[in-house]
Amino acid sequence: MNDNMIEVDGVGKTFDDVTALDDVSLTVPRGTVLGLLGHNGAGKTTLVNVLTTMLPPTTGSARVAGFDVVARAREVRGRIGLTGQFAAVDEDLSGTDNLVLIARLLGASKREARARADELLDVFDLSDAASRLARTYSGGMRRRLDLAASLVGRPDVIFLDEPTTGLDPVSRLGLWEIVENLVGDGTTVLLTTQYLDEADRLADAITVLADGRVVASGTAAELKAQVGRRAVHVTLAAATDAPAAMTSLERAGLQPVRDEPHNAVTTPVHASADLAVVVRALDDAGVEVAELALTEPSLDDVYLALAKQKIAA
Amino acid sequence: MTIAMTPALTTRTLTTRWQGTGFANQIGILTGRSLRALVGNPKLMIFSVLQPLIMLLLFSQVFSGIAGTGGFPPGVSYIDYLMPAILVTTGVGAALQSGIGLVTDMKNGVLARLRSLPINPSSVLVARSVADLIRTALQLVILLVAAVVLFGFSPAGGVLGVFPAFLLALAVSWSLSWVFLAIASWLRNAETMQTVGFLAMFPLMFASSAFVPIDGLPTWLRVVATINPLTYAVDASRHLALAMPVGSGVVGALLASAGLLTVGVVAAIRGFRRPLAA
Repeated sequence: MNDNMIEVDGVGKTFDDVTALDDVSLTVPRGTVLGLLGHNGAGKTTLVNVLTTMLPPTTGSARVAGFDVVARAREVRGRIGLTGQFAAVDEDLSGTDNLVLIARLLGASKREARARADELLDVFDLSDAASRLARTYSGGMRRRLDLAASLVGRPDVIFLDEPTTGLDPVSRLGLWEIVENLVGDGTTVLLTTQYLDEADRLADAITVLADGRVVASGTAAELKAQVGRRAVHVTLAAATDAPAAMTSLERAGLQPVRDEPHNAVTTPVHASADLAVVVRALDDAGVEVAELALTEPSLDDVYLALAKQKIAA
Repeated sequence: MTIAMTPALTTRTLTTRWQGTGFANQIGILTGRSLRALVGNPKLMIFSVLQPLIMLLLFSQVFSGIAGTGGFPPGVSYIDYLMPAILVTTGVGAALQSGIGLVTDMKNGVLARLRSLPINPSSVLVARSVADLIRTALQLVILLVAAVVLFGFSPAGGVLGVFPAFLLALAVSWSLSWVFLAIASWLRNAETMQTVGFLAMFPLMFASSAFVPIDGLPTWLRVVATINPLTYAVDASRHLALAMPVGSGVVGALLASAGLLTVGVVAAIRGFRRPLAA
């Protein structure tokens, strides 16, 4: 067996007339994280569904943990964990019972199942709520229970479909830590997300999907380099200062863009050092600044940049 | 939330890999899950008994005057006439709940989770139908006790007549639950499921012999009631409880149930095997 835990080979999926996936190929080596980046409707969840044996591909083939997702679906399901966009917990069962149920279905004895449930509840900081019905859990607790449920069988490959959507920033950080721990343990992770910073933090490699096709792939650094630049966003105290600000910034060698409705000027920068250049230029012009922000490239910028490249090509 | 670095998450060396349990075990575990949810949420049980109890109360008061009128079996009180029918209609209502329960599991993601496990998807269906059969049996027993204690139900057939009527109602309920599971597997939508159930249930219940003798109905309704399969189930249950000549009615009701069961099982498993996600 080679060491790619996920191998996707020309997978396409159509629903009636709609093409959800078009000739998607990718590989994920053992013990790494692939970030699958894309907007709603880009095909991320469809690909996760194909890889978790929920949906057969229309064309192409895929192997997870070395097994074909169609022909050897059961073997695949025995080696994966899935956490979907919505916490899939049984509200009428306690936290413990939710995990025991999964362990028992996987073939654990009652005693083993109970031990595994306790272990995971402890790791996910849910021990105090173990005997409470899941319907009484907060959103963050449900997410943790859901993730715990997908880890019951000690899977080789974990699929996390937008795991932090709807989570508060603290829970989001907590989940990131969990993912990092999993990878440290040698688990392979496929993570879908709409947020570049999430992919940036967690993923060894990023694949960008748009309209069901792979439009870019590489490391986070490579992608950002493609997108190019960060930008400095300056909100002016007085609208009348705008022409002076524009002139001064242009003289400093930047390419500012006027944002009239917001009484602001935006200029792309290459390095953080350029921030000082912007401030100095504005100061020289005697312009009063209400707000100044350095913005990182967002997923939108990635998309826009890729779209521009496509038109240019 | 701080998650301590721990080998508990994934360490695979400690235990051999669990690769899924057998089909019978799957059914047992999943049945236990549904029943446990019932224990965890007893309100569900109370509400499911409350509705037929209210019907029993209302109908026994509203229609008590028709005992002894045309088409009514002589010497039978209305409660004794009504209760065997309530057993059947309650069973039909419980069957609808099976379908709704399945759709709810689809909606809240529990089924997606179960389907990502190395188990046979049919076990989910079988487990639900078995759990619902047990729930329905419990519901009918509570109803029977309430009918005897509160409403003075004491049919001529006695326990030996009521028990087979109870079993018959369960058989009808179980076979119909598979029909509703099949509908749920194909529709996969709780609202549509409720509407379909509502539209099917009310005409079935009222255009039948459940509450008044067929002879007392207007002609057009009598025609509908005569072809309504529920009429036969109700008549069979009633004949058993009231120790009336049973004839071929019971066999007919059981055969019809077996037919529905077969169609329901095949359609449900086929519908359920279709991919969950779209």
